[in-house]
Amino acid sequence: MSDPQLTTVEPPRTDDAGDGTAHGTGRTRNPDENAHARRFSPGWIVKLVLVGLVDALGVYGILAASGVQAWWIVVFLVFALALVNWAYFSRRAVPAKYLVPGLIFLLVYQLFVMLYTGYIAFTNYGDGHNSTKSDAISAIQLGNQVRVEGSPAYPVTVVLQGNDLGFAVVQDGKAVVGTADEPLAPAQGATVAGQQVTAVPGYQVLSFADIAQRSQEVTALAVPVSEDAADGTLRTQNGTIAYVFAPVLEYDAKTDTFTNTQTGVTYTASDQGYFVSSSGDKLEPGWRVGVGFSNFTEMFRNSDLSGIFAQVIVWTFAFAFLSVAITFFLGLFLAIVFNDPRVRGRKVYRALLILPYAFPGFVAALVWRGMLNPRFGFVNEVLLGGAQIDWFGDPWLAKFSVLLVNTWLGFPYMFIICTGALQSIPGDVTESARMDGAGPLRVFRAITLPLLMVSVAPLLIASFAFNFNNFTLIYMLNNGGPQFVGAPVPVGHTDILISFVYSIAFGTGGHDYGLAAAVSILIFLVVGLISWLGFRQTRTLEEL
Amino acid sequence: MATTTSVEPRSSAVPGSRPRASAPVRFGRWCKELGWRHLVGVVTIVFCVLPLLYVLSASLNPSGTLTGSNDLFSTISGANYGALWSKGFGDWARNSIIVAVVTSIGTVLMGAAAAYAFSRYRFRGRRGTLTGLLLVQMFPQLLAVVAIFLLLINLKDVFPLLSTNSLPGLIAVYLGGALGVNTFLLYGFFNTVPRELDEAARIDGATHAQIFWTIIMPLVTPILVVVGLLSFISTYGEFIIAKTVLTSSSKWTLAIGLYTWASDERNAPWGLFAAGAVLAAIPIVLLTLFLQKYIVSGLVSGAVKG
Amino acid sequence: MRRSILTVLAVGATTFALAACSSGSSGSGETATSAPTSAAPKLTGSLTVWVDETRIDVFKQLGAEYQQKTGVTLNVVQKPSGDIRADFVKQEPTGQGPDIIVTAHDAIGNLVTNGTIQPVQLGDKTKDFSQVSISAFTYDGQVWGVPYAIENIALVRNNKLATSTPDTLDKLIEQGKSLKTKYSLVIQQGANGDPYHLYPLQTSFGAPVFKQNSDGSYSDEIGMSGDAGHKFAAYLQKLGKDKVLDTAIDSQKATDAFTKGQTPYIITGPWNVDAFKKANVDFSVLPVPSAGGQDAQPFSGVQGAFISAKTQNAIVANDFVTNFLASEPVQTELYTAGQRMPALTAAADKVTDPITKGFSDAAGNSPMPSIPAMDSVWQYWGTTEAQIISGQAKDPSAAWDTMIKNIQAAIDKSKG
Repeated sequence: MSDPQLTTVEPPRTDDAGDGTAHGTGRTRNPDENAHARRFSPGWIVKLVLVGLVDALGVYGILAASGVQAWWIVVFLVFALALVNWAYFSRRAVPAKYLVPGLIFLLVYQLFVMLYTGYIAFTNYGDGHNSTKSDAISAIQLGNQVRVEGSPAYPVTVVLQGNDLGFAVVQDGKAVVGTADEPLAPAQGATVAGQQVTAVPGYQVLSFADIAQRSQEVTALAVPVSEDAADGTLRTQNGTIAYVFAPVLEYDAKTDTFTNTQTGVTYTASDQGYFVSSSGDKLEPGWRVGVGFSNFTEMFRNSDLSGIFAQVIVWTFAFAFLSVAITFFLGLFLAIVFNDPRVRGRKVYRALLILPYAFPGFVAALVWRGMLNPRFGFVNEVLLGGAQIDWFGDPWLAKFSVLLVNTWLGFPYMFIICTGALQSIPGDVTESARMDGAGPLRVFRAITLPLLMVSVAPLLIASFAFNFNNFTLIYMLNNGGPQFVGAPVPVGHTDILISFVYSIAFGTGGHDYGLAAAVSILIFLVVGLISWLGFRQTRTLEEL
Repeated sequence: MATTTSVEPRSSAVPGSRPRASAPVRFGRWCKELGWRHLVGVVTIVFCVLPLLYVLSASLNPSGTLTGSNDLFSTISGANYGALWSKGFGDWARNSIIVAVVTSIGTVLMGAAAAYAFSRYRFRGRRGTLTGLLLVQMFPQLLAVVAIFLLLINLKDVFPLLSTNSLPGLIAVYLGGALGVNTFLLYGFFNTVPRELDEAARIDGATHAQIFWTIIMPLVTPILVVVGLLSFISTYGEFIIAKTVLTSSSKWTLAIGLYTWASDERNAPWGLFAAGAVLAAIPIVLLTLFLQKYIVSGLVSGAVKG
Repeated sequence: MRRSILTVLAVGATTFALAACSSGSSGSGETATSAPTSAAPKLTGSLTVWVDETRIDVFKQLGAEYQQKTGVTLNVVQKPSGDIRADFVKQEPTGQGPDIIVTAHDAIGNLVTNGTIQPVQLGDKTKDFSQVSISAFTYDGQVWGVPYAIENIALVRNNKLATSTPDTLDKLIEQGKSLKTKYSLVIQQGANGDPYHLYPLQTSFGAPVFKQNSDGSYSDEIGMSGDAGHKFAAYLQKLGKDKVLDTAIDSQKATDAFTKGQTPYIITGPWNVDAFKKANVDFSVLPVPSAGGQDAQPFSGVQGAFISAKTQNAIVANDFVTNFLASEPVQTELYTAGQRMPALTAAADKVTDPITKGFSDAAGNSPMPSIPAMDSVWQYWGTTEAQIISGQAKDPSAAWDTMIKNIQAAIDKSKG
């Protein structure tokens, strides 16, 4: 793990005039004169040790990753190590020294998520297409081993001959033994106790512990009952009892098909990610395949939805915008109110105002849901003296309630930020404006707000994006209700885009990760574009 | 951090402060200048605290529920609080604190370093990186857990410590978000520190590291504390990623534990849940109280003037 | 020179790091080897079992017993009940899922569709289990797990308020009203409805959610459309107008009302028994009276253990579910802990508790459908019922027909 402390230790730059050991004391020397000595300053040593540790971890990681053939990790580690060493040993890469640690974490944990989501968007990953093709084949094989009807349960003895596992059972009173290649045949000289074979000459009898060790091999072993394959095979699942199984479906690796042994129907692997017969019957499960843009087009296919879809989009924007505006102005107002040092008990006020933020969001959503219950909620029953206001029942009222709760949740964040950001506004600027005769409102509009916006505007945009995708609140508070009456998908008046996606991709008929990923990306494009435009509008980028 | 903040002498000047009135302030003027502030404060606090009182009341009631327990404090019993500890609450609290503390310190250091680079250096790709940082935040994290889980299990054979069911693994995931919105907050604040200060120091022979640590960082303490606090709070309350990463209940954080209680559709122990939520909020409140003096230290204005 | 220092340091650190890491990984690895006990167990190794919060305690206890017996450590992992299935489906393909998942049978369809579990051969033990539990665990002709408990909702009566119960729901509501309690009957709902708790009423109108085949399994043909469904929808509207059903009454409020004696009757499941006992309510458990003329059949949920298709420990996992979990002492132990009727008849026969028997007697032959099509039903079903009850949907028959149409469309879509 690369250490965040890395940035904290910096060697003196040789191209700067500076003294490695003195702390900016004003002594100036010729840089070339003592370049050599500086390399061994304490900062330099600490840096060397830290980068050395990172390198050691990285090299270890490369070795370990090569060992398990995780080539992507190897490539990334080589790249990251090169980057780290370049950043910290190059004299020119000063900004990189400060950016590299954060960027590496960002690359690993954020960009990977985006790329992976992008990849999923082009697959049919979801219920029924959950894993790889080989997993699907083995799952179909596992699921289609049907015990031959009326066949007995054999107490089985697992035996070993050389490297070949075999089964020994008592069949019709006689001991028989066989392996995967050798069908069951009478075992000469075998010892039988009750219904179980206890010893077979030429074979080693495995104990249950040995069987458990070889779990995979034993459960995969199928011993033919006779030369005729149609008689089925002897298999065991628990190492103690074996049954005769006849697979209904047989897989042929050469043709990549399953054949039903009873009906003769052939199921061929399709490029849609499942085995399908000529009549269109599919085998479960399928597997994950690329499906191109079909997840993206899927969204626009359902024309019944377009009216509701438009409503959801409008509400999503309104919700995100209003949430930011209300929380910001409330937070800013309170920050200014309590920025006056003469207000007694400011500390207590501030601590109490932050309280709503101290609860995890979902806790607050659950509490408010209970408090806004139309018949028994605290708000109606106690605060409003037994009113019967259906806070989440009426579309407009529900929207109001959602915003109310989100205000409660969100304004402390804005309050903290504004309180912090207000500290960057020099007191003398506002003071002199006031002396020039500007009223408090004018000081606020002409000086405080613009100065505040410099550091706060990007946060407002980020907050907009957060609320745009504020799934937890909507889902936990009222699940998007009240529902549109008779809508073809379960969607409600307060559903925002992301919760709408959730109910389409995960709410009806299983999980469809491919679709969810595709919609995520579309949402990202829309929000990203808007944010970028908003960013330009606030001129923040211009000032960069 | 502690050492650097103590190095710098503090100015007593507070932004927007005026000379204190030596004569006793008359009541009318007090109302006009300060009284209304208290009124606003009290009203807002009622809005803030009512739901929390409701939770507190439910937590003191052994059969507390979140719907319709409207006779506040009709029953007072510590039964829920007593029962918490046998459910692993102590472990969760410890894990939460560890994860949140480490994450917030890491976030502050990495964020401040990045903000310093953006604010003080002009390099190729700077604008692009800044815009990129902003845009990354816009990505809907609906499928993040699927991707993160996959990533972590692939790390299992390479860096077991960063894999699933490990606190360092979770912290690393959270640090992936260290450069993000926080960087902008820091960046904006760094920009308000006059460059003349760096220049002067540079002429005096300070290196970029010395400027960063001994000049800039002390001046931006308020925003460092704000970012640390925000990071602490959001890490502390995060449960969606946490419950994917941490599999055994002894490694859980408070948020996962509370979520698990609430997700029991049939027998959710709401009384326990409420008690847990109340206790979970305490560290945040204490932290806010304690950190306030750093947030509102007024250091910047004093230093800028000097 | 600089490089050489770095190299030396790096190599030194590598060796150190390698040593640290290798010793660390062997200690924290998944293969928790069991401590040797005096009983000299036969096996080593471990099984990972996922359970939700409702069963975590008893499975930890079973884990200790199983280790005592066999030497295999049971690594019991608690997952939130809301996430356990989706997490399993997500994690199983990576090979990092558990060996065994414990959940209710209605997950089977989804788990099989995703190829995440494997069939279990109960062999001759099949007949040791109750009919409903085996049919619930049968899907596509195979048994996919080992059941251990059955649960369903029933009518629960406060004996202080009423001592006899009429045989129709309408009469019951009348009786309840004459008692002048705050409610005559509570059935938990919520803003998004609760079709599970209304299902006994619905079946009494002859409108099962899906049609049942002769062997008790479900086809994916919707059974609640047409006349029977319309009658039930109209009945819901009537109960909604009478305020017998109310979307404001959620599970917390419903339980609360019964424990406080505000209602003589509640339709609920065994999970609330503890709360009722704790509140010292004298209560009986009875079958739900018919509302529409036919038998009221609640859904039966059958709990059991399923083996991952990708387990590396198939032998031990099978041993655990088919030999250990299916044994009478263990099923009895699970009963003692969970108070649900055991699936194993030998254990079920020993149950004498009138409450458990009451719930068992209230069960019909309606296991909750486990077919994947059921996933398409819940949301529409609940929403529509809530809209009828709350009066948002003025015409119950029309709302019901729209719901059927939407469910059918969702089923068709998920079939591809």
